[in-house]
Amino acid sequence: MQHALPSRRGIAYGSGMEQVPHILVVDDDREIRDLLARFLERHRLRVSGARDGREARRLWPNGHYHLVVLDLMLPGESGLDLARWMRGQSDVPIVMLTAMGDETDRIIGLELGADDYVAKPFNPRELLARIRAVLRRAGEPVEQRVERGARPLLFGGWTLEPARRRLLNPEGVEVALTGGEYDLLAALVERANRVLTRDMLLDLLRGRQAGPFDRAIDVAISRLRRKLEDDGRRAQLIKTVRGGGYVLAAPVERS
Amino acid sequence: MRLLLWPRSLAARTALVLLLSLTVVQVAGLTIHALDRIGLQRLGLARDIGVRTMNFYRVLAMTPPEDRASVLKELTPTPGLHARLSEAPPPPGGLPPSPPTWHHLVRSNMNIVGLPVTARPHEFLFYGGPADERMVIGMPLPEGGWLSVASDVPPPVPWHSRTFLIAFVLMTLAAAVLTIWAVRRLTTPVRTLAAAAEALGRDVNAPPLPEDGPTEIATAAAAFNTMAGRIRRFVHDRTEMLTAIGHDLRTPITRMKLRAEFMEDDEQRRKMLADLEEMEAMVAATLAFGRDATSAEPVAALDLPELLRTLLDEAGDARPGSPAALCYEGPQRLTIRARPLALKRALANLVANALNYGGGARIRLAPPARGFVIVEVEDDGPGIPPEEIDRVFEPFHRVENSRNRETGGVGLGLPIARNILRAHGGDITLANMPRGGARATVQLPA
Repeated sequence: MQHALPSRRGIAYGSGMEQVPHILVVDDDREIRDLLARFLERHRLRVSGARDGREARRLWPNGHYHLVVLDLMLPGESGLDLARWMRGQSDVPIVMLTAMGDETDRIIGLELGADDYVAKPFNPRELLARIRAVLRRAGEPVEQRVERGARPLLFGGWTLEPARRRLLNPEGVEVALTGGEYDLLAALVERANRVLTRDMLLDLLRGRQAGPFDRAIDVAISRLRRKLEDDGRRAQLIKTVRGGGYVLAAPVERS
Repeated sequence: MRLLLWPRSLAARTALVLLLSLTVVQVAGLTIHALDRIGLQRLGLARDIGVRTMNFYRVLAMTPPEDRASVLKELTPTPGLHARLSEAPPPPGGLPPSPPTWHHLVRSNMNIVGLPVTARPHEFLFYGGPADERMVIGMPLPEGGWLSVASDVPPPVPWHSRTFLIAFVLMTLAAAVLTIWAVRRLTTPVRTLAAAAEALGRDVNAPPLPEDGPTEIATAAAAFNTMAGRIRRFVHDRTEMLTAIGHDLRTPITRMKLRAEFMEDDEQRRKMLADLEEMEAMVAATLAFGRDATSAEPVAALDLPELLRTLLDEAGDARPGSPAALCYEGPQRLTIRARPLALKRALANLVANALNYGGGARIRLAPPARGFVIVEVEDDGPGIPPEEIDRVFEPFHRVENSRNRETGGVGLGLPIARNILRAHGGDITLANMPRGGARATVQLPA
């Protein structure tokens, strides 16, 4: 689906390149827009603000945005409609601000092609970490770029549903995962048959998970193996690579 | 004694009363019928005996004395009747004189047979009667000698026909069956009403009662529906209000979190963010409480043991380094159908309570029995004060010793859990264990 469109401007964030990422913040509260702009600018990002869909569309041609932070609860045109419109325009990464606990909007947003979400009221640092992670992903070289999307991923009979952040066993029964386990499994499945070192995994998961997860990748892997009924010593799905890394050894299909 | 026989249910009581009256009426009817039959049979018997005895007399009285013996022999023998000639009046033969009512009855029937005035017997002897099942009538014949006629007096038969009895029993049975059917039918609305009241207690959005049937029932159903509507509106308004407050608080909390980032004093910023997290948790709980009443999450198959273990893992991850005892006991795999996110929230609340108040959580899952699975969440804490145990499910109620920062909470964890579980067709109860600690018992349809 997603080709390496020129509009999805890869920028190697933090690699010393001159270009400062330009973020469009769409939120109806002026104070939040201003405070968020100040906060993000302090962290070396350039920010424009729009109060609703109309203003966002008006500003759209002016800036070459690297990322959009979009509040789904907007007056007038809904955030989801705006996200759909933006997807029609370009491949720009979108981080949604969703209503706390409103799973429906979140699922639809991810299915529309939004890249990530943060529940509102958000922690500014968490939002910053997500923005950086999404920018970094968008900046990966084309050949390494992970195809992202909301479509379910099938591997070894199991199904991972990114939109609902859930895992289904071969019988279609949901098997619960902690947030960290889901992110870890998603990282492995999206990069199936590629060896991921512990450092790479930590890097990929930063922003989503805080402190304790750093020390617990091995624990999470062993829990995942149990849940995937993948015997630790003769693991078939998640294999341990000597020298500290893991690989998901199974063909992955997008349904 | 009376209490033992008096059934509890309205249907059974009504049926019992109706069946008892039916029995009384039937017994009375049968008795009247039997008495009537006995009276008729007595009359018939008296006429029979009287007329036949008189017929013998008439034939013999018109026969010259010397021929009487031979004529008597030629007369057709009659079953149950035995005539004899003698010179002297017949002896009682062990029989008492007939009771006057019986003897008058037989005597009056003897007058039916016509006789010339001169030939009429001028004397009658009556011995025996129905009580002796035999009687003897003695009469002097004209021109000397006596005729005595001994008759059987068979006891009366109140009902001689078997079909009558069978028909009667069938009729009674049919009436009983109809009575029970009708009573059950008539009391169904009462049961429906009770079931509806029960359903309303569990879910304010339970469907309304049908307002049909007999007038009284329809009126009751309409009144019930009106009441349910008022309760629903009240709950809805309150929920709307809570949700609106929750929504509106999100913007200021977000602003404050952003502002905190501009505070110079790291210590103060950390504290401010902690306060805001707490507020956010309260808002989140309030929103969750408001939302669960109208949960629209689809039902899906999920593995319950894995969900429970994941909850324990998450609780353990969130408290790194704490020695909290977390353990799961039960089957490795068990698929149930539920709303995954809602169920997870409900069970997570129970685990959080166990950890916050009890310092540990033991989860036990019992395999399905009688259509339900049972999940028990136990802790080793001080338990719940007995006077509080009925109130823990009230929204915003907190057990007294939990009103401090460490255990925190808004007092919505258990109400949310109960709303969710009841919406699943299950339930939750909370109790103290004899050896200390509290136990939450969750019942879920298997």
